[in-house]
Amino acid sequence: MNQEKFRLWDLPTRLFHWVLALAVVAAIVSGQLGGNLIDWHGRIGLFIVGLLTFRLVWGVVGSTYARFLQFLPTPGEIGAYLRGEWHGAGHNPLGALSIFGLLALLTAQVASGLFANDDITFVGPLFDLVGKNLSNRLTGIHYLVANAIYVLIALHIAAIAFYGHVRKQKLVKPMLTGWKDGPGESATGGGALALILALAVAGAAVYGASGAWLPAPLPPPPAAETPNW
Amino acid sequence: MKSKLLLALVSMILAGTAAAQVKPGDAIKWRQSGYGFMAWNMARIKTNVEGTYNKEEVIKAANAIQAIANSGMGALYLPGTDKGTGWEKTRVKPEFFTNRDAVNKAALAFIKEANEMAKVAAAGDAAATKEQLGKLSATCKGCHDDFKIKD
Repeated sequence: MNQEKFRLWDLPTRLFHWVLALAVVAAIVSGQLGGNLIDWHGRIGLFIVGLLTFRLVWGVVGSTYARFLQFLPTPGEIGAYLRGEWHGAGHNPLGALSIFGLLALLTAQVASGLFANDDITFVGPLFDLVGKNLSNRLTGIHYLVANAIYVLIALHIAAIAFYGHVRKQKLVKPMLTGWKDGPGESATGGGALALILALAVAGAAVYGASGAWLPAPLPPPPAAETPNW
Repeated sequence: MKSKLLLALVSMILAGTAAAQVKPGDAIKWRQSGYGFMAWNMARIKTNVEGTYNKEEVIKAANAIQAIANSGMGALYLPGTDKGTGWEKTRVKPEFFTNRDAVNKAALAFIKEANEMAKVAAAGDAAATKEQLGKLSATCKGCHDDFKIKD
């Protein structure tokens, strides 16, 4: 029995993955149910802004296989992969496309959501920056992107099942443990300093997205001045 | 012959009056006004449950929503007003006019929760008001999801 294995996904990448998965599920459920949960939908969206920003920074300063340049596929690599001639570790070229697609769609989704409104009582935290008309357009985009996200999530899960059953490649286990069986170079880089940097940028992004820096709305006129009709 | 002509004339006038009662452009305007006015009152209730709770404010707002909900706005969805412009271009979907059962169900759910909102507001409990505002909002969404065009 070959016990060879190597370090594939670092802890921040794995935590990011599973927390994001939970947050996206929570966002979908709260968005679909509406009512008072719409306020939670907004909060979860802000949280996802932080997660995505963290991942974008981690894709530059994180460890080997978490880096975008490591798995950014060239057309040649995609062709080689489809012919069964690709032998690398980490995201394969097709999987990489799916990752970039998911990150891009989720980014578009939280970005549009920040300016959206539901024509009931909810407005995104940055609604005031764009006004109602543009907000309506962005809300429309928010609905369209949601459908695209459903498709990519289904594809993501179908691909995991396909690799597990047909290709006999366990993709979930390394995402849980960080270790992948077989030969390969263990990931390096992505130390404490990189982690602090990524967390700091993510925190700043959440602050920016929350609109907390926007001027406070004018206080309502004092009760004495409100006519009694 | 004369009586037939007279009948035709009378029915033309009657038909003319009926159509003149609500012009499509006005119908669209008035229904948009209804929703716009409700938006103010929904926002009022929300402000009150999130900040300092003013019972009188909430009662006024809830009563306004209840009144509009029970005003028979369905009459403003005249045939042919699936397209047109009131204050702005209508955002009603054509399905609103073909799927009347679902629309009726959504409208009745909304009226029920709007009535309940007024009752809860009269009692003056902030937590209960917040809870009911959520239920009411969900019935708005019940129609928006299927019958409002997202630009």
